[in-house]
Amino acid sequence: MSRRGTLALVVRQEWRMLIADRSLLLVLGLLVALITYGFANGLAEVRTRDAMVESVLQAEAKAGRSQLERFDRIASGQELPSPFNNPANPAIAGNGSGRQAVLPSAALAPIAIGQSDMMPNSYRIGTRSKVEFMYDSEIESPWNLLSGHFDLSFVIVFLLPLLIFALTFNLLSSERESGTERMLLSQPLGLGTLALGKLIPRAAPLLAVAALLPILLLLAFRSEAWGAGWLLFGWAALVLAYGLFWFALAFAINTLRRSSSANALMLIAGWTILVLVMPVMLNLLVERLHPAPSRTELSIQTRAIQADNLRRYDDLFSGDYRYIDEPESLQAKDGKIEIPARTMASFLARRDMDKRVDGLLDGFDQSLAGQQAAADRLSFLSPAVLAYEGLTVLAGTDGQRYLTFRQDVSQFHDGWRARFEPLIMNGVAITRPDLENLPRWQAPPHDRRGAARALGWYVAVMALCALVAGVLGCWRLRRYTVA
Amino acid sequence: MLEAVNVTKEFGPNRALNGVSLRVEAGEIYCLLGANGAGKTTLINLFLNFHQPTSGSVWINGRDVASAPIDTKRDVAYIPEQVMLYGMLTGLENLDYFAALATGQRQPKDHLVALLAEAGLPADAVDRRVSNYSKGMRQKVGIAIALAKNARALLLDEPTSGLDPSAANEFSQLLVRAQERGVAILTTTHDLFHAKQTGTRVGIMKRGNLMSELDSADVSHNDLEALYLQHMRD
Repeated sequence: MSRRGTLALVVRQEWRMLIADRSLLLVLGLLVALITYGFANGLAEVRTRDAMVESVLQAEAKAGRSQLERFDRIASGQELPSPFNNPANPAIAGNGSGRQAVLPSAALAPIAIGQSDMMPNSYRIGTRSKVEFMYDSEIESPWNLLSGHFDLSFVIVFLLPLLIFALTFNLLSSERESGTERMLLSQPLGLGTLALGKLIPRAAPLLAVAALLPILLLLAFRSEAWGAGWLLFGWAALVLAYGLFWFALAFAINTLRRSSSANALMLIAGWTILVLVMPVMLNLLVERLHPAPSRTELSIQTRAIQADNLRRYDDLFSGDYRYIDEPESLQAKDGKIEIPARTMASFLARRDMDKRVDGLLDGFDQSLAGQQAAADRLSFLSPAVLAYEGLTVLAGTDGQRYLTFRQDVSQFHDGWRARFEPLIMNGVAITRPDLENLPRWQAPPHDRRGAARALGWYVAVMALCALVAGVLGCWRLRRYTVA
Repeated sequence: MLEAVNVTKEFGPNRALNGVSLRVEAGEIYCLLGANGAGKTTLINLFLNFHQPTSGSVWINGRDVASAPIDTKRDVAYIPEQVMLYGMLTGLENLDYFAALATGQRQPKDHLVALLAEAGLPADAVDRRVSNYSKGMRQKVGIAIALAKNARALLLDEPTSGLDPSAANEFSQLLVRAQERGVAILTTTHDLFHAKQTGTRVGIMKRGNLMSELDSADVSHNDLEALYLQHMRD
């Protein structure tokens, strides 16, 4: 009989055994339940996020309409302007008509919550200081969130290996311990064929469910997923490569001829090191290589600048009281407008704030970018980190996408303030067309090409890890002796 | 034909076999006698490629086991002292699997049932789970597997140790029928009577050495026993 025919016999027999002892059905049932629950959590999170984005965009539209209506009422004399709500005042319009910079969810966002719960999906951009809207939350390094959520990425990265162990810890040792090894290997059957024949009926259904069920769920419950195209294949490739690595590792450990309990212990130890310890160690290393500037220093410096600004612009900050008695002086005349001292002071103070803390803020951004780059470089040390990074890339919740978003937001903010600064400084009144034509935030699309490159790398490295484990196992198999 | 040529096998500092040479021709039953640890099972393991010799070589039907480990197993059937099978499967299902592995194709159910009957397994046990089998019943399934293989050589490692006298006798008859078909049979045993009755040749092993080889027709029970005890005492 050909090797393929013998392999088919072993596969058939293993299938019969797995069905008879119900272990495969139990593990598959558990995997289906975990995937469904993880997907439901991810989907709920994405829907919440999408609803939030939708609501801030509605709020922006509502604020815009409100500004125009107020502009019309003031222009027609139906309402007297105040220093704090006159849309013709560029210092007021710069904030009142501020834009919401939003990062929409990617098509496959339910896969991984990733950085999305720590990094904001929207910023309200005006003439305020960046300190007030971009640096008001903690900076989180890319892997600190690895163990945070019960989503699909958690199921795949953390739990799938454990389910694989449940089916493979005694792949060869069970034959030795039950005594059937001698009966089997006295037949024209190679150890490699036996091992492969035992792996196939375990790996095929488990990885098929792990790779395909989430795709079906995505297509059923997330209409955007229909347009995801190759990203769905990317998901399947990533899950297969990651699963194959753990199957290969289990195979390699089985070739050491230890007892089933020793195999289980070694597999759990490997899981602990690669999934739990290594990411934390890498995280510490990344933080050591690219330490974030002190938030305390930022806070102290911010307060010092605020105090300094209060002193510097003291006369301006206290100069608005006359407008209570003379509101008509705030009306635009011949394209010019009097900028109330307090709003001018507020603008200047915030502008100065950004100028003076720019270096420190750049330090935060560079630290984040450095951490992300280091994380990318070192991720090959753990297939779990690779898988997690790959899944967040697919979901569009990876650190890099949020970093890019922040850079775009920062640029948009710079441009927005640069647009208003000369108007404020020169007292140029905002017109209705100005208000209507203020630039809008263009949400960046999910960079699928970039995601493809990153994903290709992750899949290739994981496949290589699986290959190395498999080759090690085959090498050990040559020295395998029957008891 | 089974042949060991100057075979030595060491496990670390322990030498289990020391330059053993023997040859079992087609149609011959060679009984290896010896105390526990004499090296009998180690020699069987070398024929099955479960271990590789430290030096020397083992051959099955003119092929070196080390260079053709899978192919040589097509020509040899093996019945261990304790036949271990898949407890969750029935005797018939076990035979179905092992016979298919042994022969390269699945056998018709009727043929498998007939083999189990020939091996002496009661008909009502055929469809029972092996986990409910006695040692003797498992041994009979092992015999059926060997019968299904219809191999040109047979390796038996104390095959009758779990059988009652009647079953042991039936087994001896099976061996004789195989011998008549020209099968080369190498069997290990502690049973001098069985060796004398069934074997055409007898070898006595001690501490990895083949001490004596003799034709069973040339010695009486008493002479064989005396020779064996003498070797064991030395």
